[in-house]
Amino acid sequence: MWEKKPILLLVLATAAIMVGTTVTMIVPFMSVNTDADKIASVKPYTPIQQEGRDLYIREGCNNCHTQTVRPLVSEVLRYGEYSKSGEFVYDRPFLWGSKRTGPDLARVGGKYPDAWHYKHMDSPRAMIPGSNMPDYGWYKKNPLDPKMIQRKMEVLGFPYTTEQISALADKNEMDAIVAYLQKLGSDIPWRKAAKTTIVGELKNPFVGNKSAIEAGEELFENNCEACHGENLEGGIGPELTDIDMDDSDLYQIIYNGIDDGGMPAFGSLGTNKVWQLVNFLKSGDSD
Amino acid sequence: MDLGSILYLGVTFGLFVIFAAIVIRTYSRKNRDKNETAKYRMLDDD
Amino acid sequence: MEKPQYNTDIVKSFVHWSVLWGLVAVLVGVIVSIQMTNPEMNFPPYLTFGRLRPIHTNAGIFGWGVGVIFATFFYIVQRLCKVRLWSDKLAKFQLYFFNTTITASAVTLILGFTTSKEYHEMEWPIDLMIIILWVTFAINIIMTIIKRKEEQMYISLWYMLAAIVGVAILFLVNSAAVPVSFFKSYSAFAGTNDANVQWWFGHNAVAMVLTAPPLAMFYYFLPKSTGVPIYSHKISIISFWSLIFMYLWTGAHHLLWTPVPDWIQTLAMAFSIMLIAPSWGSVINGYLSMKGQWHQMRENYLVKFLILGITFYGLQTLQGPMQSIRSFSAFIHFTDWVPAHIHMGTMGWVSMVCFASIYFLVPRIYGKELYSIRLANLHFWLALTGQLLWSISLWIAGVLQAGMWNAMNPDGSLTYTFMETMVEMYPYWWVRTIGGTLFMLGVIVFIYNLFKTAHNGEKTASLAATAEGRA
Ligand code: HEC
Ligand code: HEC
Ligand code: HEM
Ligand code: HEM
Repeated sequence: MWEKKPILLLVLATAAIMVGTTVTMIVPFMSVNTDADKIASVKPYTPIQQEGRDLYIREGCNNCHTQTVRPLVSEVLRYGEYSKSGEFVYDRPFLWGSKRTGPDLARVGGKYPDAWHYKHMDSPRAMIPGSNMPDYGWYKKNPLDPKMIQRKMEVLGFPYTTEQISALADKNEMDAIVAYLQKLGSDIPWRKAAKTTIVGELKNPFVGNKSAIEAGEELFENNCEACHGENLEGGIGPELTDIDMDDSDLYQIIYNGIDDGGMPAFGSLGTNKVWQLVNFLKSGDSD
Repeated sequence: MDLGSILYLGVTFGLFVIFAAIVIRTYSRKNRDKNETAKYRMLDDD
Repeated sequence: MEKPQYNTDIVKSFVHWSVLWGLVAVLVGVIVSIQMTNPEMNFPPYLTFGRLRPIHTNAGIFGWGVGVIFATFFYIVQRLCKVRLWSDKLAKFQLYFFNTTITASAVTLILGFTTSKEYHEMEWPIDLMIIILWVTFAINIIMTIIKRKEEQMYISLWYMLAAIVGVAILFLVNSAAVPVSFFKSYSAFAGTNDANVQWWFGHNAVAMVLTAPPLAMFYYFLPKSTGVPIYSHKISIISFWSLIFMYLWTGAHHLLWTPVPDWIQTLAMAFSIMLIAPSWGSVINGYLSMKGQWHQMRENYLVKFLILGITFYGLQTLQGPMQSIRSFSAFIHFTDWVPAHIHMGTMGWVSMVCFASIYFLVPRIYGKELYSIRLANLHFWLALTGQLLWSISLWIAGVLQAGMWNAMNPDGSLTYTFMETMVEMYPYWWVRTIGGTLFMLGVIVFIYNLFKTAHNGEKTASLAATAEGRA
């Protein structure tokens, strides 16, 4: 039979291949990206965001960055609310990635102010010393091509206005990538939902504790310096040299961030570390 | 049992029958030696 | 009986080119490895990690892997069918078109024209070229098999035929896209659907390019090298049908814990574990073929490469199913563990079998004895130590990284920030660069040996007859 008939063998092999293909690749089209998956607040990309996305693809950022948060405790703590199918319905192609050399970016939108991204893309190591992310400062030299972007929007069938297109004329690639990064994962209001309300009285457990201040200083270098400066002199964030605030208010700010002000939440550091930071900032010792 | 589970069991059973048929055919007395000739034939060409 | 006159020229040309692409692949591999520890080695816009890594993977899988597949299949198919290749002209065209396609892929990837879909990065015009290339190859192989002089088809031909249709189906579906311009297109599928199609493709590229064809080579070159037949043709038949049936269900093991529907993930997990059986069918068949021949491991360098290759295949097909289990995936997915898995497969299994096949072919295409068996042994040890350093260091790194990502304080907060986990990877990435460099040195020794064989090898009459296609 088939061991003597190559055409028959080809047909049977194709049949064998098609069984699993049908069940796991074709059938899912009936249930994925249907109305049941839809999330009303998830909107298509604007022209500049879509262009930023295409630049992300062009540079192969997906070789280092993933864009899907799995429903695992540590992952939700680190990156935010886990990803939903409905959040990706406008993604062609998908960009979930397979390797996390850098952090997940599915929810990076709104995590930092724009200024942080401009500075970071320009020179990641100037902000995060141990990073191995390449510099993308050269993006700023490349203008956008509004005609082409308009074509892309047509092909994708995404809504756009002529103002949006003409506004692209004096934007560059850096503006586009930052616009894209700021959109990522922010269509659902997860940041507000994730805010922990701190109940009960907040008491500083380390008052006057020297080693807590030192620990706080190290935490500051690793987590805050990029925005508040080496000597608390400020930068992207405000100067922090003399803070006139209750311990508990300070704690709240660091723990939950300042949502629309561009101050990220650091609750994932845990209560102890946040208190150490409070003690460091209140110690007035900046070197 | 609903239609889904019957279909599921049916397909699984059908696949198993196909697999068993291949094994039985390959190892049947009729084919047992024939199915091994190729491995000797492939050795004598050069 | 009238003796067929075989075409060995085409085999020779494909050996030359695939080896060259192999060198490119490992060289770019070493470069991207260095870029991970030394980011100042990125030279924007063209030579950055993000653009070079896909060149490394595609040169490795398509330039080196598929190049060797073309070379060896053209040799094997003529011998197993005892007829000359169906069309010399078509094969010649395929050679030129293959090199054009690989070159075009490398150039466009460097320029940033990419779809971002792994192992399918090239934009649509190159997809079209790849389709033409594959159809050309398929016609030539299938027609040769149809007009064969041997009644029964040996198992290697089965794997070839399956790979030919398998690649065709996978590639066509995953290529579906809407072009915006000559260099840019958007996937025909969106979001979760796109992910599911992509990894149905991605994992089966592993099946149809990195598993079935190397198995075809292994089943041919192992008996040829030892002089004794494989243990059981029947086992190989059962493994064959089970393997090509089961592989297609497993794509979603790359997507565990993602928004892809749970039932697809569960099926993928179950079938991945069942895949151990047909995979080990081939491993055991290989081992049992060595019964009474184990002394050849010492005496015959070809056997060394092949048996080590199948051993890595065996380990790979135990590790892979383990990674497909949800709880294990939760831990190692996205970490450096996965590249270690990949390179045990590509360097340990695929490349070892490719090296052995080429060592077998080279005397038979030049009509001369191999220039130096000592150098071949040196190559073996460089490849083995290089690969082990590569994989072992990154397995350790992956476990460490996974442990740190998941570590929690008693108050429920994370123990480490992302950067604290990332800087721990640097030493392991350094060891990887060292391992990769050793492997690359091995490839250079290999190429030197082939070159010297062509120019200074000792001529023998029987090899010359083979090289001229008379035997
Ligand atoms: C070689 C791997 C690599 C490549 C390529 C890469 N990155 Fe990164 N990226 C990192 C690493 C490591 C970090 C963490 C350290 C840091 O912030 O620099 C990071 C951090 C980031 C962050 C901050 C995330 C956060 O939550 O703090 C953003 C945003 C980002 N990258 C965007 C990009 C974009 C956009 C590209 C492509 C243009 C890109 N990266 C390419 C490795 C990479
Ligand atoms: C991405 C940049 C960024 C990082 C990183 C950052 N901050 Fe901020 N921070 C800001 C910005 C911007 C503001 C101003 C927000 C506003 O007032 O609307 C701010 C405000 C603050 C304030 C309130 C200052 C005031 O006078 O009202 C405190 C306190 C503070 N940050 C502490 C920290 C600490 C401690 C860390 C490290 C754990 C940190 N920040 C990390 C950007 C940052
Ligand atoms: C000198 C030998 C090699 C070195 C140094 C090397 C290095 C690398 C590096 C650094 C990466 C990126 C890993 C990451 O992103 O964390 C990589 C990825 C990859 N390499 Fe290699 N490589 C080598 C040989 C090969 C060969 C021979 C092949 C194929 C035949 C291959 C196939 C791949 C593939 C498929 C990936 C993608 C991994 C993924 O998607 O996660 N490599 N390699
Ligand atoms: C029974 C066989 C196998 C199974 C079940 C299996 C399973 C897996 C799994 C689960 C992953 C994803 C890991 C993750 O990202 O978490 C993976 C990745 C990979 N495996 Fe295997 N594997 C098998 C055999 C092989 C073989 C023989 C090769 C040959 C080289 C191979 C090459 C790869 C490659 C290249 C990837 C990387 C894909 C990517 O993320 O880019 N695998 N495998």
